[in-house]
Amino acid sequence: MSDLAARQAAFMESLLDEERALPGDWGARHAAGIEIYRNNYRSALVEALRSNFERTERLVGEDSFARAAAHHVITHPPSSWTLDLAGEGFAQTCGELFANDPEVADLAWLEWAMHLAFVARNAEPLSTESFLEAAGTFGEDDWVSLRLEFLPGLQVRPTRHDLKLLWSSLGEDAGEVEIACHTDKAATIVWREGERPVFISVDAAEGRALEAMMAGATYGEACDRLVEEAGPQAVELAGTMLRRWLSEGMVERIA
Amino acid sequence: MHSIDPFHGFGLGLRRTHYADFLEGEVPVDFVEVISENYMVEGGKPLRILEEVRAKHPVILHGVSMSVGSAHGLDHDYFARLRKLAERIEPLWVSDHLCWTRTSAHNSHDLLPLPLTREALDVVCDNIDHAQEALGRAMLFENPSSYLTFPEDEMSEWEFLSAMARRTGCYLLLDVNNVYVSAQNHGFSAQDYLDGLPMDRVRQIHLAGHTPATEDRPITIDTHDREVCDVVWALYASAIARTGPVATMIERDDGIPPLAELIAELDRARTLAAADGAIAA
Repeated sequence: MSDLAARQAAFMESLLDEERALPGDWGARHAAGIEIYRNNYRSALVEALRSNFERTERLVGEDSFARAAAHHVITHPPSSWTLDLAGEGFAQTCGELFANDPEVADLAWLEWAMHLAFVARNAEPLSTESFLEAAGTFGEDDWVSLRLEFLPGLQVRPTRHDLKLLWSSLGEDAGEVEIACHTDKAATIVWREGERPVFISVDAAEGRALEAMMAGATYGEACDRLVEEAGPQAVELAGTMLRRWLSEGMVERIA
Repeated sequence: MHSIDPFHGFGLGLRRTHYADFLEGEVPVDFVEVISENYMVEGGKPLRILEEVRAKHPVILHGVSMSVGSAHGLDHDYFARLRKLAERIEPLWVSDHLCWTRTSAHNSHDLLPLPLTREALDVVCDNIDHAQEALGRAMLFENPSSYLTFPEDEMSEWEFLSAMARRTGCYLLLDVNNVYVSAQNHGFSAQDYLDGLPMDRVRQIHLAGHTPATEDRPITIDTHDREVCDVVWALYASAIARTGPVATMIERDDGIPPLAELIAELDRARTLAAADGAIAA
């Protein structure tokens, strides 16, 4: 490592670790200077988190959020060139810090997924009509081996809470925060409709089927899993979920 | 490397608060400067807005994360994305700062100061050569404001910038407020700074407000959260008289007022430049 590279690594460590001793040839003026840089570093990252997790901040309150954000900045110092990714892993941080309030991690995940969907690659969803036209000639084997590519930015995760209710109760002009658990196991799907990130809650089995197909599983493999989970209702559920994915505009194309 | 011709005009930084003004109305600016990184995304609303603004105004791509002062190398993904954006937007030019922001492990997301040494100059020049090659165009680099200097410094910042421009063929973005802020913090003369720069390489001037030092905090901070102060205006008049007609803009990143206030502030730059004869009113 060159002399400059070593000095920059030490400077960066001083920025990240406020208790780190400064170089021996630095005086009070340097100490005052590095304090400005440390403050800039911290405030830029905390501000980025506040901007990406507005509703999470409203849910836990400003002070708790500020502590969580400061903790995240220390435990997840950024490595990417873009400040846009400062919130990566913040939902996990919330899961650890608010372990008794699991709705916080659910909501933070949702806000982060919507943030990523907001700037995902533009793509036209495949319409139900176009899909049906292509599927008109499908034989049984074609259905079993069907693979789909989903819209860029689409994400799914199992969630325990009614995020639609929580989301709307945390709007800027909303009143009391409403927290409710789903009666059945559920998953939340996030994607972008035009320029607007949106989400819906679905049955957990559908969430797992979607996750599997996003990872490259065929429709046949996803249906096999549904049969294991949902039993006789699987056939109906398989049709319902595929129609939903198409009608909601989640599918980009047949792979 | 291609040359960059001077562009005569007065502009503003595009900030989210003013999106509607730029999209729905006719804003009297000659160009708009945007923070490149905000638009180095795959798709979505930000890029659509930038393209609509670009249809109305020339755009400058101004970056904060290139890190040409880093001795830990450059980020190739960054350059691929910036080049793609530049090809899409066709900016007047692409600029960044004389600073470093990254090591191989971390990114500060702040413009960190460089020791003004021959070793650092070599690193910066190599990185700028790479940057201009990767983007296929000459760039502008801005003098940063700084809050500390290094015991190992071997030259002044203006000597560093002059050598950098000479060796790489890059151009300069002269931030007059940054000159003032650093002069306050490090005790040099702002006029000496201007005297020492190769003004024929300056293609753009930035103006901004700062937070003055206090008894408790003896450091002036480049906050971009208020109007340009009179001393900086005087320095601007001195600078524009030396550069001749170049692009001038006001940066405001915090405490952002209604657009009309920034337009009025920009008029002061027009008046000063016209009074000097650098640019016809």
